[in-house]
Amino acid sequence: MSSGNDASTQAQKRAAAEGRAQGLDIGWTVFSYLLAGMAAYGAIGWLIGRAVHVSLLFPIGMLVGLAISLGFIIYRYGRVGPGRGGLGRGGLGGTASPQDRGVTGGSSPRGRQGDER
Amino acid sequence: MTGDVGVLASGGCHIFSGCGFPAPGLQDFEWKPFFTIGSFSFTKPMLLAILAALVVIVFFWMAFRSPKLVPRGMQNLGELAILAVRDQILRPSLGRKGDSYLPLLVSLFFFIYIMNVMELIPLLQFPVTSRIGFVWPLVFIVYFLYLYLGVKNQGAWGYLRNMIPPGVPAPIYIILVPVELLRFFVFQPFTLGVRLFGNMFAGHLLLTIFTLASWYLLSLSVGLVYAAGSFALAIFVFLLETLVTLLQAFIFTTLTATYIASSVEPAH
Repeated sequence: MSSGNDASTQAQKRAAAEGRAQGLDIGWTVFSYLLAGMAAYGAIGWLIGRAVHVSLLFPIGMLVGLAISLGFIIYRYGRVGPGRGGLGRGGLGGTASPQDRGVTGGSSPRGRQGDER
Repeated sequence: MTGDVGVLASGGCHIFSGCGFPAPGLQDFEWKPFFTIGSFSFTKPMLLAILAALVVIVFFWMAFRSPKLVPRGMQNLGELAILAVRDQILRPSLGRKGDSYLPLLVSLFFFIYIMNVMELIPLLQFPVTSRIGFVWPLVFIVYFLYLYLGVKNQGAWGYLRNMIPPGVPAPIYIILVPVELLRFFVFQPFTLGVRLFGNMFAGHLLLTIFTLASWYLLSLSVGLVYAAGSFALAIFVFLLETLVTLLQAFIFTTLTATYIASSVEPAH
């Protein structure tokens, strides 16, 4: 096997490892969002419900939170292509620039397709 | 191990002998203390955790006490272990500039792996990480590390602001703030710990159930067939657990690396 082939196999392995790390991170971030949405708006609903004596606001708050989380997950991750989003440079998981996140603007989030590296 | 396992092992508690199956449960994760000092009781999981730490320390000390340019023997193995963590866990998330976190990730990975794999070693037979008290300290180390790194590299305000992607319209921004804060400060560390604990807990419980049931079902009757089935499942779960122990250590360390990456990366 030539050295050029070796180098490309190395690059492929590296890309696979990056994809794996990114997939793990996104998967668990999405899960955390679902829980956090329900918990945050469940708590808000419960507090308001306690103040105005409407206990139904607690489950309603949880549903609203779930809906918000789902909507945001679709907004943020739903349209990211399978290419490498550049997790190593901040990536999709936490804190990064608009380019790295792949969300350039609320009005036209599809416009970022060009920055996939 | 306490209670039913001892009863079952010592006596002839088998099927069709009027003896109900002593199902394993939470009590199999409670241990009689070896010794007690005041209110502190030293139990088997603590001993195993110390043992795991010693294994990791001694292994890497032996491997690198006198490093040679051309590695031989233990050093070969040690380099293999470190390079595996670097290339599979650290580099994909942190890149080349994250190499300074290699000692942390290597020790985290092997410490967790050894604690997990104790589930499968005869006589030890207990995954330390199935007691959640051994998981939280590891989670807190990671949690405070990435909070510190985030504040240090991006500033407290920048770090908070960067949690929500820029470009989100203002009303949605306000709606997202509680979700994002709760996710970041509560659920991210929570899932990190509970995932490791839950997997090891469930694995140990499954192994206990099927090995106990194999013994319980063993009798000179149709029970022999059931026992064989249960034993086959015990073997299957054992093989599965060899994979899960490694995988859980890998996932914990990989997520640690990605969390560090998202803290280190300064805002653009």
